[in-house]
Amino acid sequence: MSPRIRVALLALSALILLPCAAQVIAGLPAFGSTIAQYGARINAITPEARHVANMVSAINFDLRGLDTLGEEFMLLAAITGTVVLLRGRRGEGMTGRAMHRPGRAVIPRSEATVLACRIAGPLTAVFGLYVVVHATVTPGGGFQGGVILASGTLLIYLGEGYTGWRDAIRSHWLDVLEGGGALLFALCGLVPMLTGAAFMQNVLPLGTFRDLFSGGLMLVENLGVAMAVTGGFTQLFLEFMEETREAEEPDEPGEESA
Amino acid sequence: MTVILPLLFLFTATSGTAVVLVRDPTRQVFAIAINGLVLTILFDALQAPDVALSELAVGSAAVPLLFLVALMAVRTQAPGEDA
Repeated sequence: MSPRIRVALLALSALILLPCAAQVIAGLPAFGSTIAQYGARINAITPEARHVANMVSAINFDLRGLDTLGEEFMLLAAITGTVVLLRGRRGEGMTGRAMHRPGRAVIPRSEATVLACRIAGPLTAVFGLYVVVHATVTPGGGFQGGVILASGTLLIYLGEGYTGWRDAIRSHWLDVLEGGGALLFALCGLVPMLTGAAFMQNVLPLGTFRDLFSGGLMLVENLGVAMAVTGGFTQLFLEFMEETREAEEPDEPGEESA
Repeated sequence: MTVILPLLFLFTATSGTAVVLVRDPTRQVFAIAINGLVLTILFDALQAPDVALSELAVGSAAVPLLFLVALMAVRTQAPGEDA
């Protein structure tokens, strides 16, 4: 496709789509003026009905829990696809130990970096756990906390080097974390059906409003999401890192697996 | 509040444009991280702390780190080329 045709196509689609977009934008409520009716309704109902202070978690894990189940498996599929793509011909067996690329020098870390990482790493992990556990009380939840936890493991890499990181992080643990998290979430949908309730109905005791143990089944689902996200993101980092170390035999171009 | 929001929008536009205009990939990664940070503050100012937390974790930590690792891989495969 030549640039001329591309520009013509762009102009044509802009001509058709821009008036539609303008009409929709004109129909939006004014910026920052009102809370939408749905939001106001959620704010009014949820503290009574679910004993939960964080409305976003209530929507994600309970009121629209089915959407989150879909997103959960979307994440699982995306990470599985990336891992399959990155592993390529390297296969499963080689990720057990840290590999070193022959041509590259190991840059020594300064003691200040190591110290900063050793202090910040555990603190980051604790903060990630805090965000995970307080999903129903304060902003945050399984996804955000999981990403923070995964970033915390990267501080090990920054401080201790790749070998130290691989000694701390095991690839098959991450598989278990990620798959187990998704399984836990799916079970949260299915197990209530054994008691005769609907799919993903909140059958557990709801607890006290503004307490750590509030929201019932949401806490378990939140834990599942946290596990899946922590495992998934760390696995993603690990596979990317491993990819940079893949070329053991420099005589092969190594592009056909990509 | 009336001053903060327009200022934040201005920052968002500036840092977003900077991501496109910076040509060196390594610096571009840091531009993305800064853009993520500005968006985090903007979301927080618009009272969306959940989204702000996600943006902070993904936009200014996870994605830049992945990009840095990817750049590292490219650099080792083509030595002698400075970005």
